Amino acid sequence: MSSNLTRTLRMAVLGLCLALLAGLLSGCTGDSGKETIRFTFSKREAIGFMTKLVADYNASQDKTEVVMDTSGVDVVSASFVRGNPPDIALANYNMETARFVQRGALSDLSGTQASTRIRKDLQPLMDQYGSYPGRTSALPYSIMASSVIYNKEIFAAHGIDVPKTWSDLIAACDALKAAGVTPFYATWKDDWTVAQGWFDYSVGGQLDTIDFFHKLSEAGTEVGPDSPASFEKDFQQPVAKMLELAGSYVNKDAASRAYGDGNLAFAQGKAAMYLQGPWAFGEIAKSAPDLQLGTFPLPMTDNPDDLRVRVNVDLAAWIPEGSKHKDAARDFLEYLYQPEVIEAYNKSQLGFTPTIDAAGAPDPRIEGMVEYYEKGQVYQGPSVLVPRTIPIMNHVQALVLGADPAATFRTLDADWARLAFRQ
Amino acid sequence: MSITTATRPGQDRPQTRRKRRVEPIFYLFLLPSLVLFTLAITVPGLVGIFFSFTNSIGIGDWEFVGLTNYVAIFSDPAILQSYLFTFGFSIVTVLVVNVIAFLLAVGLTSQIRMKTALRTIFVIPMVVSGIIIAYVFNFLFSNSLPSAGAAAGISWLETSLLANPDLAWVAIVVVTAWQAVPGALLIYIAGLVSIPGEVYEAADIDGASKFQQLLKITAPLVAGYVVINIILGFKGFLNAYDIIVGLTNGGPGTSTRSIAMTVIAGFNGGDYAYQMANATIFFVVAVLISLLQLSLTRGRNTL
Repeated sequence: MSSNLTRTLRMAVLGLCLALLAGLLSGCTGDSGKETIRFTFSKREAIGFMTKLVADYNASQDKTEVVMDTSGVDVVSASFVRGNPPDIALANYNMETARFVQRGALSDLSGTQASTRIRKDLQPLMDQYGSYPGRTSALPYSIMASSVIYNKEIFAAHGIDVPKTWSDLIAACDALKAAGVTPFYATWKDDWTVAQGWFDYSVGGQLDTIDFFHKLSEAGTEVGPDSPASFEKDFQQPVAKMLELAGSYVNKDAASRAYGDGNLAFAQGKAAMYLQGPWAFGEIAKSAPDLQLGTFPLPMTDNPDDLRVRVNVDLAAWIPEGSKHKDAARDFLEYLYQPEVIEAYNKSQLGFTPTIDAAGAPDPRIEGMVEYYEKGQVYQGPSVLVPRTIPIMNHVQALVLGADPAATFRTLDADWARLAFRQ
Repeated sequence: MSITTATRPGQDRPQTRRKRRVEPIFYLFLLPSLVLFTLAITVPGLVGIFFSFTNSIGIGDWEFVGLTNYVAIFSDPAILQSYLFTFGFSIVTVLVVNVIAFLLAVGLTSQIRMKTALRTIFVIPMVVSGIIIAYVFNFLFSNSLPSAGAAAGISWLETSLLANPDLAWVAIVVVTAWQAVPGALLIYIAGLVSIPGEVYEAADIDGASKFQQLLKITAPLVAGYVVINIILGFKGFLNAYDIIVGLTNGGPGTSTRSIAMTVIAGFNGGDYAYQMANATIFFVVAVLISLLQLSLTRGRNTL
């Protein structure tokens, strides 16, 4: 009798537990009327701006609740692999995103209103990373031009003009050095700062990068000493000049300084020039809001016509094919591309707006680049054109820290050929 | 359920006790971990091995490429270097950790003041997350140590150890050891207190010096614990990841990339299939090492 009772009791408890569990699980799925979409955005400097924008959007309508995910690009890649990608993203457009494009993981945006307003002349920047037949897989949102940032006050105090040729640059560096001013502030501890600044500006200022990588792709597994293009052959010369600057004109502790240290030191006037993109202005302004800063393309040859600025699609919008809320995501996309929204964003981040109807005067800090941007004297940085599986940033960091350039470029050539062999 | 033990007639000899029918409930106990292990370890493992024979980048279309990935791996200096680095680093760290932990344990089990307080202090690094330790040491190596070096006029210390391709691994060994010593220390303390005091008394009476006692009594009696520490440590260090990411992120150059880091880089960087092949090789290597260690420990434990 008693054993029967316990048995019944036990069954009852078990049943109760199961019911509770089921209730918990079902509780996860939509109980409110709003459709939730996950929006990936991880540009560190603009998270504050975007958070407010998302809040405005959520308040402006009651169909969609946008949740911002700022966990970064690695998490996004992993989420694709797990089959659980974000519903919409504004992300850096690079080789990383190119994979999603080329394998058809991003949905077609050609039917959107926003896609009709994109400047056609920017298409090469997007095509550089491949396409998927019959689709507009991503739309540019913010174009960044970057070049040397210089401290106008220091330049004026020492009577130095913006250099237009390599000889001018060396003369300016020598003059600064003689006056006890560090010409460049370098932050080599963060490998990406070496890659996007030192490496990209030096190589991009001397070499047609798109043509080079085009030839490299054609050579494929043949890349090596005998191929028409190779890192070993084409990069030695440009990089030798980079190492000349890196060897004599930087702060002594460059190897142990990181991006954050660099922004602070540059704000304190500890150097005259800084090889960073416009995203650094906001960080510098945090400690020196009134510092007079400007930009100019790094002159790497003795011909002023060779002056070019580095551009990249800092943000592009895309909606994964695997998203279950594509329509809601497209509505949010249209909101992001409303002229006042996209222009306000680019103004706040010192970017260039890629829409045909964009207007507005550029910030004085990026004025030095407008001329080159509008004339199309631009290049894409080589570091962003190398597939991510080749650790190019690590390699260029090793270069400024003293690795042998010839050996490093042979490694890069071999890596390239090996990648072509297996993919 | 009842917990009576059913003995079949005709099998009532005492030796057959362990042959009795196993209660089905025990299988039920096993079930959750069996299911979890299968779902979280075995299935993903097999899926990974499967994809190592394709050109998948983790998403979208893929096709079979046979052994291409494996062929490419054996000619890839970056991968071979990561194996070299990981094994070299693991061996050095195991030695450093065990020597320090053993000496500390001997000290902390002898008659000294503030024994408990000291033990607590020495164990603290174990409870701090690896990535936090790495970032704190990163700051020390990049800022404090160069300042100290500059003040003392030691030129090679003036730039960060982490920026020196030849010495960055030393910094990683130091930090990893700092975190790993407490774990080994606790095991050694347990081993040392399990040695009965009489053997030392007997040795004293026989006129053995303290050093002889350490060498001839303590060391052999904790030999089993040494083996445990070496196995646990080596296994852990082969998977080194968080501390390296926090300290050097594989740099300068590629001089401190561990195997785990190359595998994960492929996962993030569109080299899924290739790095799955790498992971498969690493798995085989790990199995071989485990078998070797298993056969070694079997011999040891009978000591």
